[in-house]
Amino acid sequence: MSSTVADLVARTLAAFDVLAVTAEPVSDELQYVTDLSTVWGARLRAVAAARGAEGSPAGADAAIDALEAETARVTDPHRAIDWLSTMPQVALAAFGEAA
Amino acid sequence: MRFQEAKPDGRAVVYAHIQADPLVIRVASLLAGASTSQRVLARAAMNGESTDPAVWRAMFPTLFGERAAAKGTPERDRSEAILAASLEVADRGEQTRSQFRGAIVEALAEQLLAVRTTPVRRERRILFDGRPAEIHPYDVTVERDGAAEAWDCKWGARGIKADVIHQLDDARSGAVSEGGKLLVGLVVFDARRSCEVRLVRERGPVAIDGIKLIALEGLDRLAGRRPA
Repeated sequence: MSSTVADLVARTLAAFDVLAVTAEPVSDELQYVTDLSTVWGARLRAVAAARGAEGSPAGADAAIDALEAETARVTDPHRAIDWLSTMPQVALAAFGEAA
Repeated sequence: MRFQEAKPDGRAVVYAHIQADPLVIRVASLLAGASTSQRVLARAAMNGESTDPAVWRAMFPTLFGERAAAKGTPERDRSEAILAASLEVADRGEQTRSQFRGAIVEALAEQLLAVRTTPVRRERRILFDGRPAEIHPYDVTVERDGAAEAWDCKWGARGIKADVIHQLDDARSGAVSEGGKLLVGLVVFDARRSCEVRLVRERGPVAIDGIKLIALEGLDRLAGRRPA
């Protein structure tokens, strides 16, 4: 059974949370990480609210597979902060959404 | 208000070699004509861990999958070229790639600005009568009478810091105090959403209305074009 957009957003948000935990040791950037979680979480949830029941667009399942795997490779907290800002844009592009 | 060549210190001499690296020039040239999705690909690949292009092709179905332009078209070729060049940068090691990424954003801003206006210069100080010169030069300047601009370029939103904002604001107010005008801004190769939250937190007492923010999605505005 193919995924829905809501399924893929949920997976993206879970991967985002893992990155946020990886970024935690950079205490100077905790506020920034929290801010990123707030704004990108809201953007992704808005996509789920608007298009959640839709079937995933062509290639989006494989895109989120690759995105999750790439996210799991990030172990450096500073790299995690950089990736926190990037990975939602990658997911949105896979969904055919603007940032 | 007048512009002046920055005196290079040791770091600047080393960095000048990176700025002149053919890979920096090639990536900047590819990105100057890229779509927003292609620029997101470049940012992701240059930020990422994987250097296997198959990973990135899977991650960007709108550029490489069945929703993408057909193989052999200029758009698809550009996506492939951007991916290959971005992975070359990513493969340089953490310290080097960080310097390359910064230099790429500066070169990209220079190229885009040059589409709209001249003369565009790099690494310049701006001097005002009765004020000490700022320590750090501006990354890119437009030195046109009556329409001067000063831009600081950052790879990511994390590079937006209070001192950067204050320096830009000081330059803008310095120009105003001399009866002139200077457009100041940040060019950030990162998502606008991330840049905005960073800017608001870091601005301190500075009124950020006077500082233009050009984020990844709006880079074409530097060239006077609508975002692709």
